[in-house]
Amino acid sequence: MFNADTWLPPEVSLDLCIKCNICVSYCPVAEATDLFPGPKYAGPQAQRFRMAGQPAPDLSVDYCSGCRVCNEVCPNDVNIMEMNARARAALVAEKGIPLRNRLLGRNELLGKVGSRAPRLANFALHNPVSRVAVDALFGIAKEAPLPRWSTTGTFVDWWEKHYPHRLISDKKVVYFHGCATMYYEPFIGKAAVAVLEHMGYEVIVPPQNCCGLPMLSNGEFKAAGKLYDNNLRKLGPLAAEGYDIVGTSTSCTLTLKEEAPHLLDRHSETTQALTHAVWDIFEWIRDHEDELPRDFIQMEMVIPYHPPCQYRAHRVGRPSMDVLALIPGVEVHESHARCCGIAGTYGYKKEKYDIAMKVGQELFSFILEEEEHHHTEFNACDSETCRWQIEHGTGQESRHPIEILAAAYGLYDLETRTTL
Amino acid sequence: MTDLLIIGAGLSGLLAGVWARRQGLRTRIAATGLGATHWHAGTIDALGYLPGEDAPVRSPFAALTRLTAARPGHPYALTGEAGLREALAAFRTLLEKLGLPYGGAANPDENLLLPSPAGAPRPVYLAPAAQLAGDMSRPEPYLVVGFQALRDFYPTVIAENLTKLGFRARAEFLPIELITDRRDFSTIDLARAMDSADLSRLANALKRVAAPGERIGLPAILGLRRHGQILAALSEAVGAPIFEIPTLPPSVPGLRLTTVLREHFERDLHGRLDLGMTVTDFHAEAGRVTWVASRASARPVRHRARRFLLATGGILGGGFHSEPRGRVWETIFDLPLTAPQKRSQWFRPDFLAPEGHPVFRGGVRVGPDFRPLTLAGEPAFENLWAAGNLLADSDPISERSLEGVAIATARAAVTSLINTDV
Repeated sequence: MFNADTWLPPEVSLDLCIKCNICVSYCPVAEATDLFPGPKYAGPQAQRFRMAGQPAPDLSVDYCSGCRVCNEVCPNDVNIMEMNARARAALVAEKGIPLRNRLLGRNELLGKVGSRAPRLANFALHNPVSRVAVDALFGIAKEAPLPRWSTTGTFVDWWEKHYPHRLISDKKVVYFHGCATMYYEPFIGKAAVAVLEHMGYEVIVPPQNCCGLPMLSNGEFKAAGKLYDNNLRKLGPLAAEGYDIVGTSTSCTLTLKEEAPHLLDRHSETTQALTHAVWDIFEWIRDHEDELPRDFIQMEMVIPYHPPCQYRAHRVGRPSMDVLALIPGVEVHESHARCCGIAGTYGYKKEKYDIAMKVGQELFSFILEEEEHHHTEFNACDSETCRWQIEHGTGQESRHPIEILAAAYGLYDLETRTTL
Repeated sequence: MTDLLIIGAGLSGLLAGVWARRQGLRTRIAATGLGATHWHAGTIDALGYLPGEDAPVRSPFAALTRLTAARPGHPYALTGEAGLREALAAFRTLLEKLGLPYGGAANPDENLLLPSPAGAPRPVYLAPAAQLAGDMSRPEPYLVVGFQALRDFYPTVIAENLTKLGFRARAEFLPIELITDRRDFSTIDLARAMDSADLSRLANALKRVAAPGERIGLPAILGLRRHGQILAALSEAVGAPIFEIPTLPPSVPGLRLTTVLREHFERDLHGRLDLGMTVTDFHAEAGRVTWVASRASARPVRHRARRFLLATGGILGGGFHSEPRGRVWETIFDLPLTAPQKRSQWFRPDFLAPEGHPVFRGGVRVGPDFRPLTLAGEPAFENLWAAGNLLADSDPISERSLEGVAIATARAAVTSLINTDV
């Protein structure tokens, strides 16, 4: 309704809300629990009573998962999720942050530490005794799908080995791997590099750090700001030179594009240059469709696909579906589910685990029905924590669409998740 | 290549999407969010009142000549009576097929009168099956049953107003625990809870409060996914006609209607619906729209298509922009609007003036083929059509014609755009 091409701060956005309740009707968390009354109440309604120096009028906002389904369905473009994220940061400033949330926000540190001795770390974290202990001591749900550290080295370990053999080309693109690819799933990055090189691009992997999203969603804005500024220093010059920066973690790319600048009020020219340089990898591939080689192998498979809520929040449609549809024999079935429930770190929290599983139910049922009808082996999803949650909720393995694309070029084995 | 890009996901956008897809057009819908159907009673109003008249219209079709004489540019003047009839019949057939049947008065030319959420008579042309037993021409006395702690439904008000109108009516309240244990709930929560609730407890409670011969009006919460079965099972178990009365928003009947249309478009017909996409810009060459662009993270997204259908709604739906002084303009193509451009001329002094307020009649003028016109009366673009409450000269509020206009113009615009070579 509002024809501003710039983003509206919450205090302006708030006045666009006409209290129509569409957000409440579609909020998956409010459906799963009455601990969260719904986006309209925690967002625009409570926002009118949020003032500096006054205690928080609404504590239920802690139960917002940040999935942004509210923003998606809102007919008036109200930035409800951003209101909630800021309100959560104000709560943290007022009441402090639990150690558990501090830990969950520091996935990069956890990644680094575990990667020193990944086998030991996996054993130490993933045995039932320690999961019970971590549950009791920190409040991290013992059933929640925590990732395993890569035992074959980090992504950058591999990249350093690959570097001398990399494709050299006039066409260059920068790759942002994010923490999950770095420490847990380096094969996602390998698949991405394989596809980008197959497209004739030289890949640049600059020094980078966590995008800051886990801290933003846990209300630690100051620490998140440091991470964002570090990335700005590392990636800003490449953006200024006109390089596109593509990422395989859709929530990282969203954070670099707009979540961090919006929530942290960073509106400088360098910030905008970074925003404009960043792409989700499939958004970028779709935009470069004419450069996409068509030497696909026939795949003959049905792929149940979930466009994660964080991807839909880019508002770029369904680029992964558009690109995967080009592969002969591949039939992509969209989940039409709202959210897998995990929402970054939300579903790891003991008190929120059941809510997250309930939220994910409509997606899990879709995946299981597809498995029954089409004997699917894999499902696909662009976000790592969502893939872990889907695997946890359905027992079926989940793949990043870039793995499927790499496999369609014969560059990757979907079964073993290795490049060929 | 997309054959048709529809902008807007309200009733006209969703229906146009369904009808175009069924004709084989590769169709996409892009919209800021979901449309106004969630605030509506789920009924289909075709024409409830003529401008300036207090008495409701008996037959919308018989009244058409007088309407279009008073408002010659009215969308119904473009669709004609035959077009309106055909579109409403097509809607009814579609919804029957989708498992959300609609019905009307015994005489298919006439409106029904149904009790509104305040107990006032409401002229509607088609109503969901669940609302039909509320028909004011039926003889049974009304028992309006509410639930304690449900803040969006007022049985006593409804019963009092029905009594003032000369009906026999009374109100009762039942404990909310018959449906849910939640401490906080909306009508949507209750409808979801009904999907899995033990109906026998509710049926027994209703039997206890109902007198023989009464019909029972309940808030419109009788299920989302299993609505049809719940209505049938409950009526049978209680042994009395049961009907729904719409509540304050969020409106469950509106949500049901949106849901079946959306799921039919996306799942059965494999159409693409993208929400969160606000279209703000376009590009045209040689009189043809080549692409429109929507706001997105980082950079706008361009959408190319052969044809475009504008279904962004009226001033309430989001198809207009306005300035505080009263200037109004169409949001994407800056098409000329018939609305007054001065704030002082937007409204009549009397809030409930039967003539309606001028601003609500404002909109985009289209030709007989539903292409928007320039001020000179020429099609603005070769491949741009418009439908729904964005169109000029209907006042959906005072006429009670909102859904009829949406359905009839969506149908006519799709027919026109399919029959036009572009």
